[in-house]
Amino acid sequence: MFDLQRVSVAYGAARVLKGISLRIREGEKAVIIGPSGAGKSTLLKKLYELRQAQCAFIHQDYALVAQLSAFHNVYIGRLDQHSTIHNLLNLLKPQKAELSHITPIFRAIGMEEKMFARVSTLSGGQQQRVAVGRAIYRRSSIILGDEPVSAIDPHQAGGLLGLVKSSADTVILAMHDVQLALAAFPRVIGLREGRVFLDLPSEEVGEDTLADLYRRS
Amino acid sequence: MFRVSLSFLAVSLLCLGLADIEITTLDPWQELRRIAVGFLTPDVSVLYTFRGAMINTVTFAFCGIAVGVGAGSVLALFFQLTAVRLLCAFVRAIHEIFWAFLFLPVVGLNPMCGVLAIGIPYAGVFAKVYAEILQEADHTPLKGLPAHTGRLSRFFYGVLPVIYSDVKHYTSYRLECALRSSAILGFIGLPTLGFHLETAFREGLYSQTPAMLCGFYLLIASLRLWVKPKLVLAYVAVSFALVSTEINLRWDNITRFLGHDILPWPMRREGFLDGTGEISFPAEQVWEWVVHLVRTEALPGMWNTVVLTQVVLAGSGLFALLLFGTICRHFVSRRRFRGLSHYVLIVLRTTPEYILAYVFLQLWGPSMLPAILAILLHNGAILAYLTGQNANLVRLRIDSSRRKMNCYFFEVLPRVYGQFLAFLFYRWEVMMRESAILGVLGIYTIGFFIDSAIADDKVDKAVFLIFTTALLNMGVDSISQIIRRRLRVSAGTVLGRQQ
Amino acid sequence: MKPLLLPPLLSTLLSALLLPAALPLTCSQDLFAASALRFTAIPDENTARLTERFDKVAAYLSEKTGVDVEYVPVKSYAASVAAFKNDEVQLAWFGGLSGVKARRSVPGSVAIAQGEEDVRFVTYFIANASTGIDEGEDFPDAVKGHTFTFGSKGSTSGRLMPEYFIRQHYGKAPDKVFKRVGFSGDHSKTLALVQSGSYQVGALNYKVWQNEVKAGKVDSTKVRIIWRTPTYPDYNWTIRGDVEKKYGVGFIGKVQKALLDMKDRSLLNSFPRARFIAADNSMYAPIVETGTAIGIIDK
Repeated sequence: MFDLQRVSVAYGAARVLKGISLRIREGEKAVIIGPSGAGKSTLLKKLYELRQAQCAFIHQDYALVAQLSAFHNVYIGRLDQHSTIHNLLNLLKPQKAELSHITPIFRAIGMEEKMFARVSTLSGGQQQRVAVGRAIYRRSSIILGDEPVSAIDPHQAGGLLGLVKSSADTVILAMHDVQLALAAFPRVIGLREGRVFLDLPSEEVGEDTLADLYRRS
Repeated sequence: MFRVSLSFLAVSLLCLGLADIEITTLDPWQELRRIAVGFLTPDVSVLYTFRGAMINTVTFAFCGIAVGVGAGSVLALFFQLTAVRLLCAFVRAIHEIFWAFLFLPVVGLNPMCGVLAIGIPYAGVFAKVYAEILQEADHTPLKGLPAHTGRLSRFFYGVLPVIYSDVKHYTSYRLECALRSSAILGFIGLPTLGFHLETAFREGLYSQTPAMLCGFYLLIASLRLWVKPKLVLAYVAVSFALVSTEINLRWDNITRFLGHDILPWPMRREGFLDGTGEISFPAEQVWEWVVHLVRTEALPGMWNTVVLTQVVLAGSGLFALLLFGTICRHFVSRRRFRGLSHYVLIVLRTTPEYILAYVFLQLWGPSMLPAILAILLHNGAILAYLTGQNANLVRLRIDSSRRKMNCYFFEVLPRVYGQFLAFLFYRWEVMMRESAILGVLGIYTIGFFIDSAIADDKVDKAVFLIFTTALLNMGVDSISQIIRRRLRVSAGTVLGRQQ
Repeated sequence: MKPLLLPPLLSTLLSALLLPAALPLTCSQDLFAASALRFTAIPDENTARLTERFDKVAAYLSEKTGVDVEYVPVKSYAASVAAFKNDEVQLAWFGGLSGVKARRSVPGSVAIAQGEEDVRFVTYFIANASTGIDEGEDFPDAVKGHTFTFGSKGSTSGRLMPEYFIRQHYGKAPDKVFKRVGFSGDHSKTLALVQSGSYQVGALNYKVWQNEVKAGKVDSTKVRIIWRTPTYPDYNWTIRGDVEKKYGVGFIGKVQKALLDMKDRSLLNSFPRARFIAADNSMYAPIVETGTAIGIIDK
């Protein structure tokens, strides 16, 4: 699915990714961890660029249209799959078919009663769920996510992660909550200063390795 | 910032010295007394008698706005093209009344003339402001759209909702401006409120004028109550239906205007004398025609326009600095007093400067004085209002000085001055447009010569002079932009766009 | 709860996109509508008086010609000429100058009638009593250095002829002769401004002066005539040549006859003219000459 060979990315003079090699097979569920500034987001973006059409992306800042309803924001996930006319009609008045597809997603993310609320009126956690809902509705084979449950309380984060994992064949997320990441994903990729520091099955990641990954330089 | 302000002040004092500000009437207060008596005995029945003009004022404004919004939104999408930007700056630089002058010979004094006169310059304004709104809009939501989303869907889902509120605010503010424009177009003969207002002033029917003016204020004050987004479409449709009943547009009038009337006279002369109507191009005579026109009319007119503009630029700035405190909570603690001066400022802002100038001319006779006062009051009120709003946002430290003078000069003024200057320079070009147009009332700015050319049925001359004014305005606009950039002041958001 | 934002959002956009497109559609209407003969008149006096005068004339002409006739009021001399050029009106009561301009722009148009008085029309120079200038036979040289108002910029008796005589006398443009030069807009206003002292001297149509005297609007302690100009041809009825295509050959003659036959005192008094007599384009050659001499008409 993804096969990176010594990929580097620089923003101006600052090199963010320094020769990353990484292979991710179809159907894999992997999580990227590492200290802030290690290049997690950049790596995800790189992966997204490689397979845009097959990907759904959950943005760290949600990238929602605050002025539209939660329903429409989720619908945006498949904007490219429908005709322009259909999109405009659905903007004017939610179409039956779309309602029947989208309502179950809102049920799953636990926001059924907020479906027609304007996004700007929702809390941060609720907005993040909508962003997740949009990715799920896209029904793509790959979901990439940048901190997709960061604003959600720990009790519910696990459930939502499970939902994301089960919604696409291949799932790659960047997370800062290491415990949650290790518990939910079989493969862990640790980034440090723009390089792959570790790439292990999660059960092999020990306390020492983590301490090394996050130690101050 | 301080130095720039001082040099502008110095220039305007110099201009004030050059300007002719004499009161020429023998008894300036005699007419004022009659006006005052009229105000005490308003004849409300005219609102019914002239209901047609009232309706026209509204319908012209709605149609003009619709044309402006339509053309402006399309232009806004291509605003990165230099040609589009120049075109917009150009159509913006010509006042509605001058546009009406240009359309008068083609379509005659009928609704279409009014609609286009409002719609065309407004299209330029909308294009610019919409493009700014688009540019400043939050682009984050676009990231969330799938990569291959169609253009229209992308616009309707990812862009329009984001800018909608700004666009709505600005457009509704412009509707108020369009009503003012529509009303004053009556002064040159279109069937709007200004037509009867001018007649009443001219003939001294001072009981009619307050009724009409109050009707106009009520119309503007009540906009919020009856102009709802859902109803706008209906209003616009009805307006077009009403306006379209009286339209007279013929192809041969348009071709005659564009292909013949606007060409310099020396080019038409031969064809006129031998009766063939053919066009020739005697370069030397055309050049002479241009030089003569520039020397005898364009330059003197522009000189007076610039002098007037510089005086009112500094004048309205001082007016605003003096008065913004009256609506500011740091200086006037009584709510009621603040409310009162707030209303005074709103009335001054709502009264078109053209009408103010007309009234002052009746009182004091023709000199620059009425024009100065009219533009100064109108613009000063807007500036005072905006600056006052800004000053109200300033939070003072608990331990700041209680003395109002100290508070004004050390706490509030330094904090609002940058934005105040930005507002002022933003309006510079507007003031110049107003200075030019007041020439129609008999002050020797460029508008006087344009009005004379129209009166003499010399469209070629009028077009030439109008184009010169447009260039002058565009020049001032770019100087103002440079100064604002140098001083690093910005008018900010929608509030600042209320130009 | 339904999404609140969408309908107004879309409606605004749709209106913006669709309505300008609808404008050209509505423009062709006039092709069907204009069967009535429309006429206008230069706005040389109070609007109220003009409307009263010309509504009666419209009714009279309808009756005599058998064609619907409508009066279209305009606010300026320029607008009356523009309307005539654009075929918005087919007939007009013009001043000498506006008539010349209109006929120059519309080939085939003809002057068909004038008031008996218009053959020898006169402008009165008037002055506020405070100037101390008295009436004389010759051009009142004493007006120099005072403030002066014309009537409308496009008026024959209120602008063209007085300016001509001023230039003839001083050999200079009016703004070099007077302390200040204004344009009041119409003759009634000129009288009012000179009477109130807003301007010290002015020039106006003698017919309007007589009318205002009759109406008791002139206070002889405040304003007086100081000079009566030599005579010149002025007002005229002008008609477009192409009306015969619409209303049949001989229509121009019919309108002319109706005007010449106007006997009703109340109609004639409102102009005010004793009666109308036949006119033709050549009678206005002096106006063309004067106009070109002072640069109002291109030569």
